[in-house]
Amino acid sequence: MRTFCLLVLPNDTLEDIFVCNGCVGSYGSILKMSRNFLLPKSRFCEFFNYLKGLGKFFAPVRVSEQSFSFKEIENEGEIAWDALRTILPPKKFFYPQRETVLKYDRNEVEATVPEDNFQVIFGVHPCDLAGLGIMDTIFEAAPGDTHYTKRREQSLVIGLSCMPDKYCFCQSMGTSCPTKGYDLFLTDLGDAFFVQVETARAEQMLAGCNGLFSPVSENDKDSYKEFWIERDKAFTNGFEPDNLRSTLDMEWDNPLWDELGKRCLSCGNCTPVCPTCYCFDLVDIANLNGQSGERQREWDSCQFVGFAQVAGDYNFRPTPVDRLKFWYRHKLHGFDDPYGFKTCVGCGRCTVSCPSGIDDIVDVVKRLQGNNEQPNK
Amino acid sequence: METNPRPCIAVEGLTGCAGELLVILENLDKLLPFVRVASFPFAQSQNDDGPVDIAFVEGSVSQPHDLEKLKRIRAKARWLVAVGNCAVWGCVQGGACAKCKVTDMLEAVYGQHSEIQALESRPLDAYVNVDVKLSGCPIDKTQFLSVTASLLKDHLPYITHKPVCLECKLNENPCVLIEKNLPCLGPVTAAGCGALCPSLGAACYGCWGPSQAPQMDAMATILSEKGYEALEIMNRLKTFGAPEHLFERMNV
Repeated sequence: MRTFCLLVLPNDTLEDIFVCNGCVGSYGSILKMSRNFLLPKSRFCEFFNYLKGLGKFFAPVRVSEQSFSFKEIENEGEIAWDALRTILPPKKFFYPQRETVLKYDRNEVEATVPEDNFQVIFGVHPCDLAGLGIMDTIFEAAPGDTHYTKRREQSLVIGLSCMPDKYCFCQSMGTSCPTKGYDLFLTDLGDAFFVQVETARAEQMLAGCNGLFSPVSENDKDSYKEFWIERDKAFTNGFEPDNLRSTLDMEWDNPLWDELGKRCLSCGNCTPVCPTCYCFDLVDIANLNGQSGERQREWDSCQFVGFAQVAGDYNFRPTPVDRLKFWYRHKLHGFDDPYGFKTCVGCGRCTVSCPSGIDDIVDVVKRLQGNNEQPNK
Repeated sequence: METNPRPCIAVEGLTGCAGELLVILENLDKLLPFVRVASFPFAQSQNDDGPVDIAFVEGSVSQPHDLEKLKRIRAKARWLVAVGNCAVWGCVQGGACAKCKVTDMLEAVYGQHSEIQALESRPLDAYVNVDVKLSGCPIDKTQFLSVTASLLKDHLPYITHKPVCLECKLNENPCVLIEKNLPCLGPVTAAGCGALCPSLGAACYGCWGPSQAPQMDAMATILSEKGYEALEIMNRLKTFGAPEHLFERMNV
């Protein structure tokens, strides 16, 4: 897999890396090589207005002292440039919290189709892009989720560089550099954005605003490389990921799980905030006439006791310990076979969203690995 | 005589605030094409005491005449639906007031030798078999209509007791327990209200009753770490009638 991460691929020259990073998610045909431009910040407003003209524009906005949320915005001033992680990840744009999937009456069942709505999702950081890439794999798997796919097809995803805080550990999960899930990626170089165009769709979109961009100079490339080198150095949180798989297998009965489970509220906060949690509940809502109704799906959580409850009142994950351990394993090991990737992208949302403080993945992994140094948070 | 008589319903109240009766009254127009209202003393003056398909009962059993009424309703109803926290859990009169003896309270309020008779306030299932429990304070109208639709087809409705945290997160609210250190009971309270209080920046105080398998001990631990006193925590957790067995793992 090619990335433009500067830490890997020691035999490639940086120039090679720039022209080879064509490994992106499957939405929008991928350009043979990414094309690079410079967008001066003085022209960002025009860029915003141009994109706004294409459809709904969503970006992170501040919703409380500590929290951000992707919301539809009307002017660029609403963008919270300092947003690292939103409460909910961008999966909500393609797989909404609640939706009607079909309507029925006595004679027929009609599958609902998402509306035609072009949308621009702006300011998605590398961890969330990795999350979208994973969701693409899951929702595209046969027979494919038509609701997800349609919404994904009519969205332009614009990535944005970031600097890690004390909760970010994407570097440990191998997701710190964007490789998939986006159309355009913007690296903040101070007075300009280094723009990488990844998909033919993005290329087409940008045809209408070419005048805003200038060619990339050698100097700009140097600044770009410098940014990513500095960013790699900026991580303070993380663990050694190489033995993750064997550690989780080996430590299935570690007493740490009981310690965490005792504090677990089973509130389920860790799952809606996760960029890759996809479980849902399906409910039929009947109309009073007894003739018709609709089927709705809503995000569900493996942390709820009813999630694994089956007929006969049997429950194969009856305690908070069972459920929490299951979730950790699912995120850090469950997709190794057959997919070959982890479904944790290191965004730190679960860590900051857990009222009990037991979803500090980095701390838990380190303790399972036998590293008992105090967490740095 | 109608050839295909519509199903009959009764809507009755025991000791409660009539909040559920109001919700049902406000939505009665949606039901009327499909049911005959045999009895709804809160809303109509002509009521009959004959058998009904569904009886919705609000309020807790707090007085001897509540109990007599409940038994009468049970005997005439095919489906008995407890509506609202009072009927399902006992609410404030069952939870918060359980700290005092009912005889002491009676004397403090009505004096000695009062003719008022009072029972320890209990939910309906303390006395009779309840088919469906629809909690709320007051109940949610969408859930109420959905439950009714299911029962009209003789299906037991699907009512989940997932925590308020789910609805709060689906609404993408900032967490008031984490960000404001408010004593929010969302993690242990059944959802259905749409996370109303946290959506307005206030703590959930548990008015829908406990979620399924609430982790009361973990909740108490987290609130005590935030500086709340044990007594205050227990008062909050028990105010809306959460039954004693949910606290078995705690030393209270």
